[in-house]
Amino acid sequence: MSNVQIELTGVDKHYGQFHALKDINLSIEKGTFVALVGPSGCGKSTLLRSLAGLETITGGTMKIAGEVMNDVPPRKRDVAMVFQSYALYPHMRVAENLTYSLRLKGTPKEQALAAAEEVARTTGLSHLLGRFPRELSGGQRQRVAMGRAIIRHPKAFLFDEPLSNLDAALRVHMRKEIRALHDRLGATSVYVTHDQVEAMTMADRVVVMRDGVIEQEGAPLELYDKPASRFVAGFIGSPAMNFVPAMISEDGQAVLLDLPDAPRLPIGRALEPGRRVSAGLRPEHLTVTNAETAALRLPVGVVESTGSMTYISSGTDPEITVVIHGRSPLSAGEVMGLTIAPENVHLFDVESERVI
Amino acid sequence: MDISEAPAVNSRRRGNPVSRILSSIRDGNGFDILLVAAPLVFLVLLAGLPLIYNVLMSFQQVDMFTLGAWIRPFAGFDNYISVISQPEFPLVVRNTIIFVVGSMAGQFVLGFALALFFAQNFPGAATIRGLFLVSWVMPGLVVGAIWSWILAGDFGVLNAILRSLGLIEAAIFWKSDPNFSIWAVTIANIWLGLAFNMLLLSVGLAAIPKELYEAAALDGANAWKRFLTITLPMMRPTIGAVLSLGLIGTLQQFDLFPAITEGGPANSSTVAQYWAWQMSFTLYDFARGATISVMMFVLVLFASILYVRSTRSEVRG
Ligand SMILES: Nc1ncnc2c1ncn2[C@@H]1O[C@H](COP(=O)(O)OP(=O)(O)OP(=O)(O)O)[C@@H](O)[C@H]1O
Ligand SMILES: [Mg+2]
Repeated sequence: MSNVQIELTGVDKHYGQFHALKDINLSIEKGTFVALVGPSGCGKSTLLRSLAGLETITGGTMKIAGEVMNDVPPRKRDVAMVFQSYALYPHMRVAENLTYSLRLKGTPKEQALAAAEEVARTTGLSHLLGRFPRELSGGQRQRVAMGRAIIRHPKAFLFDEPLSNLDAALRVHMRKEIRALHDRLGATSVYVTHDQVEAMTMADRVVVMRDGVIEQEGAPLELYDKPASRFVAGFIGSPAMNFVPAMISEDGQAVLLDLPDAPRLPIGRALEPGRRVSAGLRPEHLTVTNAETAALRLPVGVVESTGSMTYISSGTDPEITVVIHGRSPLSAGEVMGLTIAPENVHLFDVESERVI
Repeated sequence: MDISEAPAVNSRRRGNPVSRILSSIRDGNGFDILLVAAPLVFLVLLAGLPLIYNVLMSFQQVDMFTLGAWIRPFAGFDNYISVISQPEFPLVVRNTIIFVVGSMAGQFVLGFALALFFAQNFPGAATIRGLFLVSWVMPGLVVGAIWSWILAGDFGVLNAILRSLGLIEAAIFWKSDPNFSIWAVTIANIWLGLAFNMLLLSVGLAAIPKELYEAAALDGANAWKRFLTITLPMMRPTIGAVLSLGLIGTLQQFDLFPAITEGGPANSSTVAQYWAWQMSFTLYDFARGATISVMMFVLVLFASILYVRSTRSEVRG
């Protein structure tokens, strides 16, 4: 058998009239960490909850570890979920929260307690076993929720925005910790987030969703380098990609941007002359050069610096953002010259928004 | 802004006593005290004084001539001894226990079952649940009259149903058979208190986050285990409150007795509260009537303490 742990074929989910998941096809190898990203309401939670069995799918096939799961109730799926609200049992102490699943299975008390202590050690909860959830901080509750999942050695871990209630610093820390745990356990994880940085840094594979459809699936850098659509291109990468309406030049070798003076950017290949396109330029791919000779000359609008990075926005419509390392001598009102390598010019069809 | 407002604040601080009290009522402690004092006065006048008067009376000799007085000859525990040595006392205690335990158990079990049923969120659940409130809106005397017909031995609906189901052969004379009379009132009271129990328990159920059940299901709990390990422990404060209020409500239930059995036949359905009323207002033995109600008050007090404690021990984090 192949190494596929989770396999979705043509999965559909309707809430009454509303079509929440549309023909989802996805296969997840054992041991991979998959991030589901997308804007609010795109169906990430719905997909995750369908995997858990908390929602029943209305079409297609869902397999976990080779078994069809469509009609299997949650308790028999052997998957663990970490909820955004953690969903800790408020009337149980941490140790009881951790051992709940084991006690249900009839594991002897000492064995369950030993397992809880083991898990508590790996998640840094050892000194908190006797506390109630209400006596824990947000980060500690998060760990208990994780521990409750880990103790079961499930076939898959499902996370629904587990870090969104934590502050920024703790979030960055927990990101690493969750990933390290995943690697240590050799687990298969599906991780829902709307934070693309979280997805890019944690995951082996990223699935970008939009309106119930998978827009693109691939390794993080693959999505960054070769976005399949304007939506993915705009979603992945921070700050977001600049989009400029444009037209293919007469010789087909360049684009003419809809900006003052119709700047001409070579694209390193030949396309149908005169075709209307949308050109995507990542802020970090634009470099500032001599304003006299550059192909792209724009007035400087706002210059913002964080010390290590400087963000320059053009005073044009559409606005073009440029990111450079270090500082910039430019100031508002000046003219900046920009260049970009031909392979970094992304072109999207105006109608279908697919990449060209 | 700051400059123009500062003098106004100062003059208010230094104002005369009346305006100081007024401003304290507007935005200081005075308002809190006022809020607490108003219900307190109400309670003392309408509950506290009658209660004290009642307790006092249970230790005094009361007759028609001293009815309006506070000070009467002291009787010690004579009234209590006399109540306990009444020939019907054991029967009344037995009836009261049957009535209280039967009513509470029936109301609670059926109420919980209905609350769980309506928590399943099927179409129309909220509307049908609302209809149950009918029993709560109706006066006890009306409920008593209706149940009096339902329970009638010869033409009653209940007998007809039981007979057609083959559960009984001869008609049961619910109201006039001494073996059944207390149960007749208990059944009516269960119906009367059902909606209240169901409603309180529904509220408790609704307060349990859905995600806890989902987490438990993923942890491997089936419906029964989820009920035992999530619902019941999370409902503990609500259950405590419902049972305590149920006890109080049942000990207060009076209307059904005159409407259904009038305590008969031969006191076979007389409970403490009805007995107390009979003593005071048909035999005009106010001392013993008061004595019985003081005994009941001690019971209610006990229930109230349980109630307060159960609402205090909130488990929800
Ligand atoms: N029980 C439900 N009944 C009807 N519609 C629902 C239900 N649950 C979700 N939806 C709809 O399905 C769509 C997807 O919801 P879902 O919760 O999966 O979004 P999401 O991607 O997780 O969003 P977020 O990032 O805000 O959590 C939304 O448009 C939502 O309105
Ligand atoms: Mg969601």
